[in-house]
Amino acid sequence: MPGSDAPLPEGLIAGLYKADPARPVSGFDGASAFVARGVDAAEEFLAIESPAGMAPRALALKALANQPIPGLMAPLAHGPAKLPGRRPAYYVVTPSPPGQSLLGRSLPGRSLVPPSRAWSEAALLALVLRPVAAALERLAARGVTHRAIRPDNLFQAAPDEPVVLGPAWSTPPASRQPALYEPPYVAQCRASGRGEGGIAEDIYALGVVLIVLALGREPLADEEPEAIVRRKLALGSFAAIAAEERLPGELSGLVRAMLAEDPGQRPLPAELLDPVFARGRRAPHQFARRAPEPLVVGAHEAFLPRSLAHALAETPQVGIRLLRLGVVDRWLRRSLGDPALAQAVEQVTQRRARDATEGEERADALLLMRAVAVLDPLAPLAWRGISFWPDGLGPMLAEGDAASPIAEIIETEVLAAWAACRAGREPSAALSMEARRLRALAQRGGLGGGLKRLGYFLNPLMSCRSPLIGEQIAVTIPALLTALDGSAAEPDRRRDPPMDAEIAAFILARAPGGLEADLTRLAPSSEVLEKALVPLRVFAALQVSTRAGPLPRLGRWLATQAEPLLGSWKERSRRKTMQEQLSALAERGDLAAMLKVVEDPSARARDAEGLKEAERTLRGIDDELARIASGAPLRAEKARQLGQEIAAGAGLAALSLTLVMMAFG
Amino acid sequence: MSRQSAAVASDSLGKPAAPPRSYAWLQGLLCGVAATLVPGPALLTAFLLAPGLLSLLLDQKPGKPMARAVLLAGLAASVHPIGSIWAGGGGIGAALDMLGNPAVLGVAWLTGAGGWLVSELAPLFLRVGMDGAAAARAARLRAERTRLVEAWDLEPRAEADQAGEANPS
Repeated sequence: MPGSDAPLPEGLIAGLYKADPARPVSGFDGASAFVARGVDAAEEFLAIESPAGMAPRALALKALANQPIPGLMAPLAHGPAKLPGRRPAYYVVTPSPPGQSLLGRSLPGRSLVPPSRAWSEAALLALVLRPVAAALERLAARGVTHRAIRPDNLFQAAPDEPVVLGPAWSTPPASRQPALYEPPYVAQCRASGRGEGGIAEDIYALGVVLIVLALGREPLADEEPEAIVRRKLALGSFAAIAAEERLPGELSGLVRAMLAEDPGQRPLPAELLDPVFARGRRAPHQFARRAPEPLVVGAHEAFLPRSLAHALAETPQVGIRLLRLGVVDRWLRRSLGDPALAQAVEQVTQRRARDATEGEERADALLLMRAVAVLDPLAPLAWRGISFWPDGLGPMLAEGDAASPIAEIIETEVLAAWAACRAGREPSAALSMEARRLRALAQRGGLGGGLKRLGYFLNPLMSCRSPLIGEQIAVTIPALLTALDGSAAEPDRRRDPPMDAEIAAFILARAPGGLEADLTRLAPSSEVLEKALVPLRVFAALQVSTRAGPLPRLGRWLATQAEPLLGSWKERSRRKTMQEQLSALAERGDLAAMLKVVEDPSARARDAEGLKEAERTLRGIDDELARIASGAPLRAEKARQLGQEIAAGAGLAALSLTLVMMAFG
Repeated sequence: MSRQSAAVASDSLGKPAAPPRSYAWLQGLLCGVAATLVPGPALLTAFLLAPGLLSLLLDQKPGKPMARAVLLAGLAASVHPIGSIWAGGGGIGAALDMLGNPAVLGVAWLTGAGGWLVSELAPLFLRVGMDGAAAARAARLRAERTRLVEAWDLEPRAEADQAGEANPS
């Protein structure tokens, strides 16, 4: 139920839940959270605020709408809300956690669970593995991942109760996951660019959770995230985390399988539900050739291709130099003893010459990106020091993160080039189509084009970020219209047009087609008339198509901005009439009717024809006035001639009268 | 076309200008015949139409409009006395008697003066009237112009209009 076209009622989320800002619950999913109650029930729920600059997970929220999943704090509702004393924000409502988190987070009125006890194998399998695997299976069936499985997001009502998976819906996938709980190919990405991933990443996180609970502590707790990634790449995840630990019984084999480096080799959730299978599961043998001598890349020492790929991605300038000098392929051939891989890297290096026609820097970036993909097919896309997964582009744009590299990635269709290098790990054709689609979207110019539009397109629940709506939240077109109507209450706002690049981008991404031509034509350099007419045309179309109610304040705002439009009409009386009509229609909030007034083609034609007629008449008047001004001598001569004729005529008349009188005696 | 203008026209054709033809001899002949045959009416006519005849000499305008008006007016007042003397035999004595009557001579001459006055005043009144009509028309046009300019936001008043306003006649 995203968005609402009515002004936000205080504290009410999606019209169903009322959050209480006086009862905060700290730290859920890394965001502010509050106790909420249903409007018609006394039951308590949890309302989690989506942090500013982050878009909620639209796909997951849509897939899980009204579908409660046992063992999971699934979203019940979501929408913008204005809690008393707080700024408007987007909230996701979930069931209340059944108790403490496994790391002992507190909830008001509930007792603490000792956070540091080590769990038995039986308890882990019965209370953690099976319930979480069951929830993951249901999530997978809906095409959704969780991506926030960690001890502080697992809740337990009592020590002998199965755990419940916490919420993971108000922030980008895995954006709050510590490096320990994510595979290295995810942990090395930017937090916002980790992407939805697959259920295999959830299995990996669950495997790490099992280790942590079995040990009663977090291994590598003192290590920096970057050091954890390097360690996992160098040793393999299981060895990096648990090689020096003693895990109970059969758990070691199970967890080793869950932490397999290749996500395709990890067990599926359904397989984990069978305890026999779960206990007997063994990880496939993983052999990675290790070089006797490392290749030093900046501060990194790489013994394995995967470590080398990571080192190149982290230090792109050094990596590019090594690649272009042939140091990498020589090391692969001579030290690692992998001529096939060396040849693949050499081909990538040779290909750079072709790419150089479009710029040296871009060719270097492409070289590095391809080399990383060839060296480690599991690695994320690496571009100019940024690593991310393609479906993480949306959240990265929402955060305003790395806009310049992203623009280059879109423009160069880097996604397609990356997919082509990954040796069948990614459906290349699908990513190529996606790359072309994103490029086409970003290339459309005009107001609101480019990355802004793409950001809204890739983040369906991202609120419009126009300063024209202030702090209001608008994730749908009706909500935007309502927010603008609210903003128009401030007279200062009406000095500027109710349309800026953010609003145009938002409309382009959210509204059905038909408005693109108008908005694309609108640019900062557009003529004054266009700038006045296009907003009215667009908002009128949106009001009609979304069946939004009256928008009187927005109407007045648009009427104020329509002055240049009225000025384009030539007949003053018509302008005055139109002004009166516009004012009256603005008061009614009927934007479509306002548009009809200023955009009446037949009236416009009559106005133009009237102007021509007036100009013709004016020219005639000027000619006649000129003739009058210069006609004095002519009139004098005419008066003289006529006067003389009159005098002669009078004399003749008198003579005739006399003769007649004489004739008749 | 006046004689002078005819001469100019001839010049413009490159031919030698013909000298203006004079009919004074014919007028003199007619006067002589009249004085011989009907001396009384001729004398009376000459005196009664003296202002008109004098104006014929003085009026140098083409067509002699002033003289024409004076003569026609004087003739209207002279018809009755001349008819009376013609009916009575037309002697010089009767003509002198009639000329001795100041009413006859005064009426004829005053009527001639009236013809002169009309010929002078009619053009003047007509010009005043025509200028007035032109000014009124110019005022109506300026008002219409102002209305059009204001109604359609056209350009400021043209120079022609300003000139017309400054000097409508």
